[in-house]
Amino acid sequence: MSEVVIENLTKKFGNNLVLDHINLKIDSREFFVLLGPSGSGKSTLLRLIAGLEDITDGSIYIGGKKVNGVQPKDRDVAMVFQNYALYPHFSVYDNIALPLKVRGFSKDKIAQRVKEISGILHIEELLEKKPRQLSGGQQQRVALARALVRNPSIFLLDEPLSNLDAKLRVEARTFLKSLQKELGVTTIFVTHDQSEAMAMATKIAVLNRGTIKQVADPYELYMKPSDTFTAGFVGSPAMNMVPGKIVKDGNAWKFAAADMALDLKGMKFDSEAEVIMGVRPEHVVISTEGITGIISTVEPLGSVTYLEVKIGGTDIMVQYTGLARIEPNSQVKIGFALDRLLFYDKDTEKLLNK
Amino acid sequence: MKKLNILLLLLLIIFSLISLFPIYWTIITALKVNSEIFTTVPIFFPVKITLSNFYTPGQTFGAVSQTAFGSFPWLLNSAVIALLSALIGTFLIGAPAAYALTRYLKNVWLGRTVLLMMMIPEAALIIPFYIIIIKVNLINTWWGLTLVYLSFTAPLSTWLLMGFFSDLPRSVEEAASIDGLSAYKIFYKIAMPMIMPGIMVSIILNFINSWNEFLYALVLTYTPFPTGAQTVPLFLSDFIVIEKSFAWGGLAAAGVIVIIPTIIIGIYAQKYLVKGWTMGAVKE
Repeated sequence: MSEVVIENLTKKFGNNLVLDHINLKIDSREFFVLLGPSGSGKSTLLRLIAGLEDITDGSIYIGGKKVNGVQPKDRDVAMVFQNYALYPHFSVYDNIALPLKVRGFSKDKIAQRVKEISGILHIEELLEKKPRQLSGGQQQRVALARALVRNPSIFLLDEPLSNLDAKLRVEARTFLKSLQKELGVTTIFVTHDQSEAMAMATKIAVLNRGTIKQVADPYELYMKPSDTFTAGFVGSPAMNMVPGKIVKDGNAWKFAAADMALDLKGMKFDSEAEVIMGVRPEHVVISTEGITGIISTVEPLGSVTYLEVKIGGTDIMVQYTGLARIEPNSQVKIGFALDRLLFYDKDTEKLLNK
Repeated sequence: MKKLNILLLLLLIIFSLISLFPIYWTIITALKVNSEIFTTVPIFFPVKITLSNFYTPGQTFGAVSQTAFGSFPWLLNSAVIALLSALIGTFLIGAPAAYALTRYLKNVWLGRTVLLMMMIPEAALIIPFYIIIIKVNLINTWWGLTLVYLSFTAPLSTWLLMGFFSDLPRSVEEAASIDGLSAYKIFYKIAMPMIMPGIMVSIILNFINSWNEFLYALVLTYTPFPTGAQTVPLFLSDFIVIEKSFAWGGLAAAGVIVIIPTIIIGIYAQKYLVKGWTMGAVKE
């Protein structure tokens, strides 16, 4: 019913190409995250869906209806802004009630809806206050309430958590995820924080420099990033990237890099190639046999410990489960989980072993 | 450091004394009896205090006299004209124009032209204005003078409020457009209330400028209320030669009455003025 379809969408600001032929389909009831670094065009894409910017080329459909040129108020979308954009001179009640007032709801109906939504968001006791009297977390809830009060068919959020402190942010994303599930509203969420995206999304689109790099659910995005940009952007600490070569040795394939060589048992490739090998820190293990390296830094985080291991001129980040007293400069041997290794073509930067 | 502070304080005190002295002199003159006004050695601290310069028993409203009481017909004109030109200049012209210029016509030169309009000296416009006002039959009327005063209140408001509007976070207006408000309602229900300090500054400055204006009033009006629209600065200038005598006491008393509104507004509006000026100038 309320799905969003984007076809060949292009946006230019002057001569500056911000979005380049974007194609996306966002299903009804989905929690869809647009993920990308700043300047990737993700916020612009959201603003185009909201109708706050004019489309240069292409089309946007909301609920099957083409909305090019349709006013924001007539798109049945609601939006939460990064700075919440509350009306500073209105009380919280009037902030939430405004979208209903404009649409000609009766006083009783408005009071009932405001009560309902403020109950869901736990802000009943704030209704008489002005926005400046609220904390950041409370302001955010008011902004959510204002957006949700009229049951929009599409719910747009532009980095709504980035102004909260770290603890509140984690609470808010759990809350937001369950709220979205409860209300079942199609949600498009913009963020540059990959952990936020992973935690909340049912599907993620990764953007970089105005193009979509990959659209996938969080599991696939993490396990099979389709190119080196996504591989490097998703996951913290970032995936290890080792440039090298895939070579054929008799019937077996091997990976040969400046400082290491690996037997790729059971893997098949079309031809020899210059590649970049990607491996996540948790897929590197400390073992009794393997490649020898020197631990250069130790980051004990509690549940895990990150070790940076120097192998010749190559640094490999290793995740060690648990807390361990490991001294820097000690020698270790590391091994790779072979079935987790990802190989990207050096030129196209695309994943080879799908 | 300390020495510099003391020096600065001293300078400020001297400067304040210099600028406050004329006001002090006006006030004491207004309260002096004639025998203490007309002395060869000026009296700085009057011995006898009188209110007769403000009002003498038996005066009737509107009658020309040697006391400040006589100024009321002129004061009434001034109040009406200053209020009209301040409010119209701010709400009907300045604010909508500033909003349109910052939101829709992002043309720097158009904005600068507004500033340019304020730089044209009154004397250069007085003859064209006179001819126009005569032709539209508004000479010596409230509306005639108000229209002419709009030529300086409206540009000042526009220029001032442009700064305020361009400092507003756009997302609030965008939120309003998504929430369903029309462009017109976004302007007067959302954007205008958010720049209330700026609106206040605009009204106050317009009021004071109109209240003090002399040259246009001199040329475009010639009788006081109720027959004409002469404003209080003209009353003051005429005062000295009323009935061919020099009524310094009455003039000073009238002067006191004329500055009272601006002082009251100034004190009341100080918080807005400070907040307003900084809000318009400093990006947060």
